[in-house]
Amino acid sequence: MEVETSSSSTASLVDKAVVPGDIVLDLTSMSDQTIRLGAGLRQYSDVLSVVKAGKLKFKKPNKYWVESSQKRYAPSVEDTVLGIVVDARADNFLVDIKGPTLAFLPVLAFEGGTRRNIPKFEIGTLLYVRVVKANSCMNPELSCTDASGKAAEFGSLKEGYMFDTSTGLARMLLSSPTCPILEALGRKLSYEIAVGLNGRVWVNASSPSTVILVSNAIMRSEFLSDVQQKILVEKLMQRVQG
Amino acid sequence: MEQRLANTWHMTINEKKFIESALSKNIRVDGRSPVDYRQLTIKFGREDGSSEVQLGETHVIGLVSGQIVQPYRDRPNEGTLAIFTEFSPMADPAFEPGRPGEFAIELGRLIDRGLRESRAVDMESLCIVAGKSVWAIRVDLHILDNGGNLIDTANIAALAALLTYRKPECTLGGENGQDVVVHDPEVREPLPLIIHHMPVAVTFAFFNEGDAMVIDPTHKEEAIMGGRMTATLNSNGDVCAVQKAGGDGVSLSVITHCLRLAALKAVDITSKIKNAVDSYNTARALRKVKRHNALVAPDITVPDSVMKGNQIGQLAEHQAQKFKEESTKTFDTETVVGIPKETVLFNKKNINFIRKDSDSFIGGPSNWDPYSQSIPPTFVRSSQIFPGLHSSS
Repeated sequence: MEVETSSSSTASLVDKAVVPGDIVLDLTSMSDQTIRLGAGLRQYSDVLSVVKAGKLKFKKPNKYWVESSQKRYAPSVEDTVLGIVVDARADNFLVDIKGPTLAFLPVLAFEGGTRRNIPKFEIGTLLYVRVVKANSCMNPELSCTDASGKAAEFGSLKEGYMFDTSTGLARMLLSSPTCPILEALGRKLSYEIAVGLNGRVWVNASSPSTVILVSNAIMRSEFLSDVQQKILVEKLMQRVQG
Repeated sequence: MEQRLANTWHMTINEKKFIESALSKNIRVDGRSPVDYRQLTIKFGREDGSSEVQLGETHVIGLVSGQIVQPYRDRPNEGTLAIFTEFSPMADPAFEPGRPGEFAIELGRLIDRGLRESRAVDMESLCIVAGKSVWAIRVDLHILDNGGNLIDTANIAALAALLTYRKPECTLGGENGQDVVVHDPEVREPLPLIIHHMPVAVTFAFFNEGDAMVIDPTHKEEAIMGGRMTATLNSNGDVCAVQKAGGDGVSLSVITHCLRLAALKAVDITSKIKNAVDSYNTARALRKVKRHNALVAPDITVPDSVMKGNQIGQLAEHQAQKFKEESTKTFDTETVVGIPKETVLFNKKNINFIRKDSDSFIGGPSNWDPYSQSIPPTFVRSSQIFPGLHSSS
């Protein structure tokens, strides 16, 4: 009974807020289709139900996932994240990526990495890395190369300022077309930015005041609409110039 | 080892260098100037003596409770004041559950010193019978979120909670006129504590061997600061306590400069606390009026004789008289029949205890709890169930 009512309202659930227990899809009527599930969804016999609060997303032809915003990060394969080197071992660097456990970065996971040219990272170095293995019961594994073995911008970030935000804001900053706040700031100022899906953002610019302005504007933009973000940037600019 | 590394908060070299270089140009990472305080929000709970203070991201709850105990032998006519702190691991992964850390003890002692040794709370007015029973006031400070500068926030929370706490009124009565009678708050309005002045803690952080100084450091600034100084002052500019525990040395001129700044901030914070307490008291008074109306329902207070007569005119007359009574606030225990008079109850055990103690008083607190009769066990906070989690100061 419950399944029938939910299947009739499935279309309306996409892009809506969902909570654990909501039924997204009834699989009995679609036996010969393949569906790909992302974070926050689980199959219980004939129904797909939500296990995490957030917004249900759907991408053609068959991808479903739940997007939410949180302070902690659940590692998943192919995410690009910002990590902090916490300890160096013989085979691995231990890297904090805001996950439940520390992640391992093998000392050979660099472009052209061999036993002879192991990079030296001080404790506290900020790294831009890619998650290559993320299994429960195991520490996640990172890599400083892209899938073809090239360095591709991965590696340590020098200077600048790093701050923590939520995973939702990080995803908003990475969305395309370019997030309005970054675009509006970019028209007036020049800055470098690196966003990790684990909710860490690194900003660098020629002067410290620009870095502080950009980072505070980003931190305050999480719950603003596109227009509000543009107004925020304009106000900040007037204050700086005035 | 690995688990400990995963649980602690890490700071990158980038942040450390950036904050230091920005500070050398008098810029702070949150856009404040070095002498600016963060936004202060003071809220109160429904119960008297509970406060919730937010200073930027830092979040502290203060709770005040009172108990009647026997006084210390050397101070027979003074009550006691004790500060307890609880650092939850939810506030900061660096706080370990169970035993209080070094910082938890320092914070508790610092607030204790500011409030008690400057005699901010009148201790003698807490005395009920000299040498026999006094009020023991307990302040519990719960850290909910650590965004830096816990000392100032916890101090404001303690002050705000103390200013709104009301102790039930006590008189002497009973058979021999020597027993302590605790009046129900419904019957007699509880009394606020007497607070002579408000010592406000203002914290400074020093960087680069005393070159740069900021007020109200955030937790990132606290992680890289070279030294810290807390000055506790009241709005008159009297210094109540100064704490400078190790770290970078600073010159005398810097300290006097800090004290002058702290005096200005103390005036500012005191007025903010006073405004918040005033608006709480107004809201409380309004609530009181409503509660009395609801309590005095006609069928409870109208005496039997009127009900038997069953005359509407008489009933209306009685109502009118009752409203007059309410407006003049002459609430006598005799007219309010509906309210249980458990206030004058004093169980046998305690009477015996008081009679006995006049000749064999051994000191130490009594275990008599004035609330045990009227408060259900669910109200007993977890802090009292697990005393091991607290740092006594």
